[in-house]
Amino acid sequence: MKHCLLTHLTLLGLLGLTTNASARELPKVELQNYEPWEEATVHAFENILVQEGGRVKPIYTTSRFTLMQFSGKTTAKFETKDGEQHSLHHAEWMLDVLFRGEIAKQLPVFIVDDSEAVVQIGVSPKSRRDRYSYSELVAGRAKLAELSAQYSKKQKQFQENDKDEQYELGRIETMILTLGQNISSFEFLLGQFGFARKGEILVNGEILSPEFKEMAKTLDPVEMLTKMPEMTLDQLFQTVRQPVGDSEDERMFSDALRLFFFHANSGRGLDLFPPQEDANEDWKSSGDVMLEALEKKEVREWGTEQLGKIQAITNAQGESEEAFRNALQSFSDQQHQTAEDRGQGVRSEMEISLYRGQWFWRALYCFVIGFVVLAFSWFSPGTRFSKIMILLASLLALAGLVLDIYGITLRSIIRQRPPITNLYDTVIFITATAVLLGLIIEWFTRIGIGTLVAVVAGFAGMFLSVKYEAKEATDTITQLMAVLDTNFWLATHVTIINIGYAAGLVAAIFGVIYLAGRFICLLTGHQNKDLFKSLTRMNYGVICFCLFFSLVGTVLGGIWANYSWGRFWGWDPKENGALMICLWTLVILHGRMGGMLKDLGINMCSVILAGIVTFSWWGVNNLGVGLHSYGFTEGIWGALFSSWSILGIFLLMGVIIWFVERAKKADKKRAKSNKEAAASA
Amino acid sequence: MAKNSIDWSPGNWPKLLYQFFTSFKLATTVLFLMLLVTLFGTLDQVDNGLHKAKEIYFHSWFINETMGSLPVILPGGMLLMLILFVNMTLGAIVKVRKRWRGAGLLISHFGMLLLLAGGFITNQFATDDYIALYPGMSSSKVESYREWQLEVMPLSKDGQAEKAWLYPSDVLDTVRPDEQRTIQTEALPFDVVINGYSKNAMPIPTSAPMAASVTGKEIDGFKLSPQKPSTEAEQNLPGAYVEFRPKNGADPIEGILWAGSYYFDPREKPMPFTFEVGDQLYGALLAKKSRPLPFEVRLDEFIFERHPGVTTPRNYESRITRIEEGQPDKPVEIKMNEPMRYEGYTFFQESFGPAGSNPGDDMYSQFAVAKNPADQWPLWALVINGIGLGIHFIIMLVSYSSRARKKRSATEATS
Repeated sequence: MKHCLLTHLTLLGLLGLTTNASARELPKVELQNYEPWEEATVHAFENILVQEGGRVKPIYTTSRFTLMQFSGKTTAKFETKDGEQHSLHHAEWMLDVLFRGEIAKQLPVFIVDDSEAVVQIGVSPKSRRDRYSYSELVAGRAKLAELSAQYSKKQKQFQENDKDEQYELGRIETMILTLGQNISSFEFLLGQFGFARKGEILVNGEILSPEFKEMAKTLDPVEMLTKMPEMTLDQLFQTVRQPVGDSEDERMFSDALRLFFFHANSGRGLDLFPPQEDANEDWKSSGDVMLEALEKKEVREWGTEQLGKIQAITNAQGESEEAFRNALQSFSDQQHQTAEDRGQGVRSEMEISLYRGQWFWRALYCFVIGFVVLAFSWFSPGTRFSKIMILLASLLALAGLVLDIYGITLRSIIRQRPPITNLYDTVIFITATAVLLGLIIEWFTRIGIGTLVAVVAGFAGMFLSVKYEAKEATDTITQLMAVLDTNFWLATHVTIINIGYAAGLVAAIFGVIYLAGRFICLLTGHQNKDLFKSLTRMNYGVICFCLFFSLVGTVLGGIWANYSWGRFWGWDPKENGALMICLWTLVILHGRMGGMLKDLGINMCSVILAGIVTFSWWGVNNLGVGLHSYGFTEGIWGALFSSWSILGIFLLMGVIIWFVERAKKADKKRAKSNKEAAASA
Repeated sequence: MAKNSIDWSPGNWPKLLYQFFTSFKLATTVLFLMLLVTLFGTLDQVDNGLHKAKEIYFHSWFINETMGSLPVILPGGMLLMLILFVNMTLGAIVKVRKRWRGAGLLISHFGMLLLLAGGFITNQFATDDYIALYPGMSSSKVESYREWQLEVMPLSKDGQAEKAWLYPSDVLDTVRPDEQRTIQTEALPFDVVINGYSKNAMPIPTSAPMAASVTGKEIDGFKLSPQKPSTEAEQNLPGAYVEFRPKNGADPIEGILWAGSYYFDPREKPMPFTFEVGDQLYGALLAKKSRPLPFEVRLDEFIFERHPGVTTPRNYESRITRIEEGQPDKPVEIKMNEPMRYEGYTFFQESFGPAGSNPGDDMYSQFAVAKNPADQWPLWALVINGIGLGIHFIIMLVSYSSRARKKRSATEATS
């Protein structure tokens, strides 16, 4: 019956989620209608290369994480006045931002978790948590800039003063700061190609006088470059700062220069142009190219050629979508050719396929469906039907595992590194290891427990990976710091220690299944000693496995530290976390050998092991101290405490079982001694 | 009942002690306590920094601290590791039944003992210093990160010193901020009096508003204000009020010595507090403890690269020449994860400076220089341990799977 209930609840939960999603009302926008981009145009656009975060990547990746950062999602959904609902893919949204700015300004992509934040900048709030468009927020732009600057300073003081609480940002302050940063990034994106769109000033137009705006309609900054005299940047800045002379020519020159700097400033941030020199690895934005070409006459020809490519795209946009698409494709092809000659961005297609494939989402579905299928096996344990369900669930778990490993492999190939280089990688890797462990155990035992462990671990891990990616909203394929730049140690120490983490978590799932099962048996009066015995045996094996990998991984880490930092052991928090896992598994094994821990104790201790693993994996990163600064993260104590509280509930079940068992034993003993007394009497 | 009673007679004590030190219960308890000490020692680093937390929790015999409002009374890391060493030696090596099935565990315990012994030797005998050089500069001495000593030296007319009298860091560290300590030495024509020593301090001009709240004595327009020790012990800059009392009865000379007068950049020169006794000019300063190297190191080139477009360092490496008497000069490349090991010293590429430098700037390279007799012990311990645990778990897995197979075939036969 309980299995049946569980299955129903799971299905209802899934259905409920779907129903909620479809019933949610989409934000309405001021646009009468929305003309979507043709699919081929989006494809031509998404493979354009950008240098960001120290590497060259497709704009598909940039747009994905930019929209995720603004909106918390990778799609922008809205309803136009004609009543039509739209869901824009992040690449389509980025196309709008760069080439149809007026439309992009109307799209509700800025998430505000508490309407109090918009009230503080003087904007009328919508519902408590809602998404706003740039046009809706622009009324509070000045106040937002003022408050953002103030909170940014406060945040800096917080870091500089050993995290002194008086400088700690409040919840609303953090929201305002984030919103300010997002709006500023959006404005830079809007203004990227302003130099190529005569007269179309999309942002900050208010700082330009009407004469300037008039001039902007006719001035071509690229053409202007070819006609500029040879002057240093300092001299040019000086010219702009100086009072304008009386002659018309002087005034025109000064104004044109001001406008040029305005466009150059707006064109920063999106590094699209591979540099002219082979030795230089830093790609340039339109703004960089404009300023460099202005300063150095020898760069002008190259500079005007690059800027001309963008002008060609914007001009083609005015002709037809096909012409626009061809211009985009041509720009992308040229970029790829240059990048390939330089050995950069060669795996951009693969990167697009990594994100488009949504392998981790698909794996998540497999694990959820696998769990539901497995739940059906509990209706009639031991029957043929049950065995088929277990087999099916195992195959689904295997499919999830294959998808997860496929995603991990793509990531490794793209960055040419072993599977784990950052915290996000640990999530998907540990999930794969835990699922694999569960399936191996299932292979040996064939009773469905290993599959249960696999689907639970798979679901939890994939869910965490999706949540973590959304929370960070930054590219998860990162460049390595100098100290981590070693494939040997990444492949050995980092991989092995994470296998240890995975084993620790699998042991905890066994412990949870054992405690929950025993507790339910206690309530229902059922007995299944054999099952619990074999659960403990499996768990013991996994704990031994955990010890082996944690110990070897920890010592390998020490040896790496000895090579990089000059000491084997420094009591650094990350090292201590790994040591704590080793110590706790040793406590369990020695406690069992010394007779201090029986089955119940071993399983309770394995649940505690999960608490120690999560502390080591996430908690120490949150302390913000130590040499493993590349793994630091913030704001996860809440999630950690929640997970520890859940573990605490299972431990409480264990404590209750222990008390009840103890009372039963005392009763038995008393009855036995009474019997003996009666017999002797 | 008689079966469980313990014979407490003195003649039985050695046996009881042996039983106690070889028991699983002791091993389990010590491991559990080590876990607690590790946890508290980790959390304490947030407030007290790594160095202090290490001293309190891991390099101590007993712990009697409070964390927030929670009292932490525990045996210290040193004591626990000593007990564990004894327990492992007697219980897992001497007492354990020697049989093939337990061979893996026996081997792995040897590995653990080696690891603990290595840790002890490192703790007692290893030194950990640094050396910072600009390209073209060379040096044959290393300096401590945290140990400061008092140096007093006669100076020539052009301000140069040939030799210095030292008051060592380990005794200087014991002087409290409110303590007066007089040091008499035949090497100098005056006594040195330390009127309080602070491990982290800041001289404040008396004209500054905050000087009003500083209780220390004013000397030459400055007061020494003790500061809260930094969580990064390397950042502490100690300071002391000093007095030099000439033995000929002349007036004493008072001064403030502050570690900030020592150099931070390898091209800077220390600025000692100078005074005259008789006709001789002397200088006094707080200087980092230094140790000589048996060879000289010259930095030829420092290479620093960032990932394109971001501030994350991609690579930093130093090309040096090792110069040793009677040996040809040896060019060596030191980079992250590729140290130079020579004559018991290991040079690691640690960092660079000055802060905020960019590729192409004139930069110095800093090496961590470690001398550790047990440098490679963990590697050997790992190999032994890995082999031991590997053997053990393979034996366990084979035995488990054969048991499971037998059980399954028995069940199938029955059905």
